[in-house]
Amino acid sequence: MIRDLVIGMAGSGGDGIVSAGESLVSACASEGYHAMMTKSFGSQIRGGESSCRVRIATCPVLNPGGALDVAVALNWEDFLKFGAELPVNGDTVVLYEEKTGVAPDAIPLVGVSPAEVFAVPFGDMARKAIGNEKGKNSVVLGLIAGWFGIGRESILAGIRKKFARKGEELVQANERAFQLGVEYAQANPLKTSRLMEEPTRSGTKLLTDGNDICAAAAIFAGCEFFGGYPITPSTEIMQFFTREVWKYGGSVLQAEDEIAGIGAAVGASFGGKKAMTATSGPGMSLKSEIIGLASIAELPLVIVNVQRGGPSTGMPTKPEQADLFQAVFSAHGDVVRPVLAPTCVSDTFDVTVEAFNIAEHYQTPVIILSDQEIAQRKEVIDVIDTSAFTLVERQRPTAAEMNPYVRFRMTPSGISPISHPGMKGGNYLGAGIEHNEHGDPTASGRIHQQMNEKRIRKFDRLKRRDDLFSIEGDAEAPFALVSWGSTAGVCREALSLARAKGLRVKLLIPKLLFPVNEGLYRRFFTGVKAGLVVEQSYLGQLYRVLRMTLDVPSGVTSFCRSGANPFAPAEIVRKLQDHALSLQQREADVRQPVE
Amino acid sequence: MTTAVATQFAPKDFKSELKPIWCPGCGDFGVLQAIYRALAAIGRPPHEIAFISGIGCSSRIPGYTTAYGFNSVHGRALPIAQGLKLARPELLVLAAGGDGDGFSIGGGHVPHAVRRNDDITYIVMDNQTYGLTKGQLSPTSAKGRHTVTSPEGSLENPVNPLLYVLAYGAPFVAQGTPADIPGLSAMIEEAIRFPGFSFVNVQSPCVTYGEEEQQIKAHKAIMKKLDDLGHDPTSRLQALDRAQSYGTELLTGVYFRDPSPPPTLGSLVRERQESLSAKAKPRERILDLFLQK
Repeated sequence: MIRDLVIGMAGSGGDGIVSAGESLVSACASEGYHAMMTKSFGSQIRGGESSCRVRIATCPVLNPGGALDVAVALNWEDFLKFGAELPVNGDTVVLYEEKTGVAPDAIPLVGVSPAEVFAVPFGDMARKAIGNEKGKNSVVLGLIAGWFGIGRESILAGIRKKFARKGEELVQANERAFQLGVEYAQANPLKTSRLMEEPTRSGTKLLTDGNDICAAAAIFAGCEFFGGYPITPSTEIMQFFTREVWKYGGSVLQAEDEIAGIGAAVGASFGGKKAMTATSGPGMSLKSEIIGLASIAELPLVIVNVQRGGPSTGMPTKPEQADLFQAVFSAHGDVVRPVLAPTCVSDTFDVTVEAFNIAEHYQTPVIILSDQEIAQRKEVIDVIDTSAFTLVERQRPTAAEMNPYVRFRMTPSGISPISHPGMKGGNYLGAGIEHNEHGDPTASGRIHQQMNEKRIRKFDRLKRRDDLFSIEGDAEAPFALVSWGSTAGVCREALSLARAKGLRVKLLIPKLLFPVNEGLYRRFFTGVKAGLVVEQSYLGQLYRVLRMTLDVPSGVTSFCRSGANPFAPAEIVRKLQDHALSLQQREADVRQPVE
Repeated sequence: MTTAVATQFAPKDFKSELKPIWCPGCGDFGVLQAIYRALAAIGRPPHEIAFISGIGCSSRIPGYTTAYGFNSVHGRALPIAQGLKLARPELLVLAAGGDGDGFSIGGGHVPHAVRRNDDITYIVMDNQTYGLTKGQLSPTSAKGRHTVTSPEGSLENPVNPLLYVLAYGAPFVAQGTPADIPGLSAMIEEAIRFPGFSFVNVQSPCVTYGEEEQQIKAHKAIMKKLDDLGHDPTSRLQALDRAQSYGTELLTGVYFRDPSPPPTLGSLVRERQESLSAKAKPRERILDLFLQK
């Protein structure tokens, strides 16, 4: 019996690969398994290559997994385009379309001989069941159900639901295709049985992705306005608002461009409402000026950047963690802007609610750095208890503070009560121009210095919030991992693998990336001899931001590479083992007598 | 949504204590006066008014009123004003800026503000120059004009703001000049009262970088009122025809006023909110949307 199964499938755009993955993950949710599905496409809308990975487990799934247990290639050309995203090794069961004409011992996977290889007549079976090849994905599902014992009835229920609208005939045809898959699996059993263990039923689950849950979290937090512009891979956030926000008395503006999208959100925030915009790299570049405006006008605003490969258009459909510098340093002037990052679908909810709380409390734009993987991957997650969350509202002036009202009053915290149009006596001039406490424009160097000091000092408390970090593993460990965003889930698994191998390791996952909580990092790094900051960017941006701010132990190095080259837990463990060896070597050298 | 009695406020109630940075004789002083008068006539209290601008000499104008003001960034007054109006439909929302703000850097926003048709009044102080940066060519500068960025004369045709905005489909378009403050103030008042997107182009002279024929004195000599020309402001075609004289003549008044104004964005949004509100799960149960049985 197995407890963890990673399936990777690829085909051309019309093959229904992603739809098969969705049926599978939804069936897993119904059965009580934990599951995660990631999609990956070429940039084409139709006809290009598409793929998905589904990881199914009896315990929580932390990341999409490393090498595949099952690889499904509906054609080799498309499969091979995904390279590192669909890695095959000696334990993989490979299924591929027989019609490709490739012999099982000649499959085009360089340097590996998979455990088992099947040339499956997917197309012929679909034709037999449906009359055309459209049902190949149902055949694939049948095979998976047959070999791995995953919820046959749940998958069938999913198929019925999906095709119900298209008529009974198609429902039955796809059921037949599914059945042919099951029968193929029975007729061609695996050499080693790989049946999944029964899930431990743990109650009702949610099935969603990072973008949808982000938008839902925003509405839960009281967001009443969204302004944005379509851009991959963030658009689903705006789409969710267009379906839901009206019901809560809010509104959404699909703007003429990225700048207008954030401009409208700033307008709504000036009006006293919680507001949000979402985009990806190129949109962030365009929004920079207005992010600066929100900083100087001290307006709460949540900005989601669902990171994709950059620079410029880069790789719109691939994840990367290379926008941290932009989040921290873009927009001109001396500015501190809070930057948060979720690590999975479930904590995208927490991070989004937190982003609104920070934005409202500190009267500041807050950037959420999600990424394509978290945003578009589907996860089966536990139900979230919303009553455990506190919602923060911006501090509004009291009657005494309105007489007279001083919008940018110098307060001990640096946070000044904020009014909004409609509040009698709260009238003030908001501005992108430097201003005095009253909001009147100024070019005084002295006031500029004071205002910068106020706008930066107000984050002192945020910088000390240790609850925005999680530290896992052995507290006194000499080896440390630091990771953020979607890569953090890979490190979580690497941590338990490494500890199982006897390595003394701990893992730090910051949800607050900036401003840097120097004290927390210092304490974490105390006694650390070696470690890795793991992230998916060529430059290793968090590592560099940390080095800019504090003394990172010299044995802690950056383990980083460009997006669309996902990390596998095992390679992080290997890297840690190398570190451990060289550390022992160094210690030995130190103990050698000096000649 | 007038909540106050029309006679409750005097123009001075809308005047703030800030002293304008404008050059003596700047046309914007007259525009400001006209706005004070229009707001007094409308009678909404200052705290129910939000005045959004971009960057430039004229964009300083919100600070000189007692309304809530937002002197934002260059070219973005309209997006900010629309977001604010959607969030707070009960407010009286004004947007203002110069011709560079509205027709160069922010030019892409105008057609969209027009087509969305929320109830916002947009006042452009068109002085055919970039005054704050000291006299460069602007989008409405005449072809052949000599400036510091066109020392040999401009090679480009100017934008015609009236023609653009009429062609975008705006339901209310007018043009005024501070040479006629009562006329300008009446026009702004009418624009504010108009239910929908209203546009007022003000030929507001730059005393420092403008040409002689662009000054108030010249305006007084050449301006003609559309009313006196038998213009029919209910006809978009006539308005488009008259608007072609921009740059050669100075025709003031209401060019176009839609006789049957279409519903505003705000009213459509409210209808949608009301029709869908019954379907709302409590906010704290919004995750039920993702429940798997």
